[in-house]
Order: sequence, then C-alpha cells, then structure tokens
Amino acid sequence: MKASEAWSGDELLTHARAGESSAFAALVRRYQRTVYSIALRMLNDRHRAEDLAQEVFLQLYRALDSIDSDTHLVFWLRKVAVNRAIDRMRQESRHDSEPLTDAVTVVDESIADDPLLHRRMTELIAELSPAARAVVVLRYQEDLDPVDIAGTLDMSINTVKSHLKRSLMQLRARVQGTAIVEDIR
Amino acid sequence: MSKDFEQQLRDALQPVDPEEGFDQRVMARIAQERSRSRTKITRWASVALAASVLFVAVLGAHQWQLRREQEGLEARKQLIEALRLTGEKLDVAYQAVNRESSLPADDGSGA
Repeated sequence: MKASEAWSGDELLTHARAGESSAFAALVRRYQRTVYSIALRMLNDRHRAEDLAQEVFLQLYRALDSIDSDTHLVFWLRKVAVNRAIDRMRQESRHDSEPLTDAVTVVDESIADDPLLHRRMTELIAELSPAARAVVVLRYQEDLDPVDIAGTLDMSINTVKSHLKRSLMQLRARVQGTAIVEDIR
Repeated sequence: MSKDFEQQLRDALQPVDPEEGFDQRVMARIAQERSRSRTKITRWASVALAASVLFVAVLGAHQWQLRREQEGLEARKQLIEALRLTGEKLDVAYQAVNRESSLPADDGSGA
C-alpha cells in the first residue's frame, strides 16, 4: 500500500496542494466513487458519467488552493458534480435525449436483492427533472439530510422537501404502475 | 411501506465504482492540460517578445527621425547665423568702401 493511501483527507489535501501528484491521485481514488456515482445517476450513461467525473477532478486540481479541509472537499465535489451534471442535462435536453437504455448496466447486481426492481427504479429516477433527480440522488445515494442538500444545491429547505415529497410520490406511483402492468401480463 | 420504498431507493442507488484506471485517466488529462497551457504560455511569451522587439524598433526609428530633424533644424539655424554674420560683414565692408569713395580725391601733387 502506498504511504499516501494511509493519509487522512486533510493530509492528502496538504500534499496535493504542495504539488505532489501522487497525493492528488490518491485523492481521486478516495473520492472517485462518490463523484462517479453522482454523475452516473444524474446522466445515466457510463461514458458521459466518466467524462463528467474526470472534469470534476480536473476542476478540483485547478481549485485546490480554495479547498480548506476534507469536509469542504467532499461538499465541493458533490456540489460541482451535481451542478455540472444539471448543466450538461440542460444543454443536452435541447437535442432529443435518447431513452435511458444504459440504465440497464447501471445496477450493481451483486448488491441488489431484486435487480429488476432496482433497474426499473434507476430508470424512473432518470426520468425525474434534473433538480428533483439531484435531490433524490443526494438524499438516497449520498445519505444527506435536507439541510445539507439545500446547502449543496443552493435551494431552500422547503424546496428540497417539496422535491423529495413529489419525487417519492411520483416514483412510488410509477413503480406500482409497473407492478400492476406486470401482474396483468 | 414508505420506509420500505425509501430503502428500495437506497438499494437501487448504491454507489458504483468507475472503470479500473480512472485515477490514471484523470492524471493523464491533467498532464495533457498542463502541457497545453505550457504551450499556450510559450506562444504568448513569443508573441509578447516579438511585440516588444517591434515596439523597440519603432521607438528607435522614431527617436532617430526626431534626432535627424533636430540636427537639421540646428544646421539651418547655424546657416542662418552664418549668413547673418556674413551679411553684417559685407555691410561693414560696403560702408567702408562707400566712405573711402566719398572722401575728396587726392591728386598726389602734395601741394
């Protein structure tokens, strides 16, 4: 194991800021899962998610001096990943986006009790509006509470709560609808 | 039911790892960007150097032109002064000649 892997987030930050590329690479390895997962759930496409996640780390590299601590870093990464994803979705919505077929590959089946349901769930999440999707991803993937989500997305807490409530209702209705259709078949 | 549904959401949204070698791809992209920005800086430095050389050359030519004009003016002034002095001297000589010729003529008899 490399020495940098044993460092705390704050130590890694200090070394990365001093220009040690091995420390920055260790930072990437430490947070790639968070950033990539947000990008993937938002864009629902592995290639675009990889590209966006790379851009987020590239932006981090340029902004290293403005990051105070490990906690700030995680907040920053989530915020930049979500905002970049929303921007990209808005840009791409001008061109007709294809049906989210890549969602099929997104579910990690080893951890899924019901892969089909989870697949359907990720497809339905991908149909939410960009802002609602961001709220759902931060709540159920990143496990943030509404206050932190509001801070990350620059939204009021009431807006976050209303997005959550509406998205849950919508998703539940769609999942139940799917189940009914499957029962009829 | 609501808790179950939220748990299902959490299960469906389990974090996923990017493909192997993600960190290396990020580092390669950073290296690429750094080399691109270095090239850009070099290009800007060359342009700035060329602009400076041109500026110095134009400034030098302008200074040289000014100096030549000043030398020309100086030479003109000297010429005018020389002409004035010559004129004055000619005047003096002319007056002397006039004075000489207005004196009564000496016939050389000595009487």
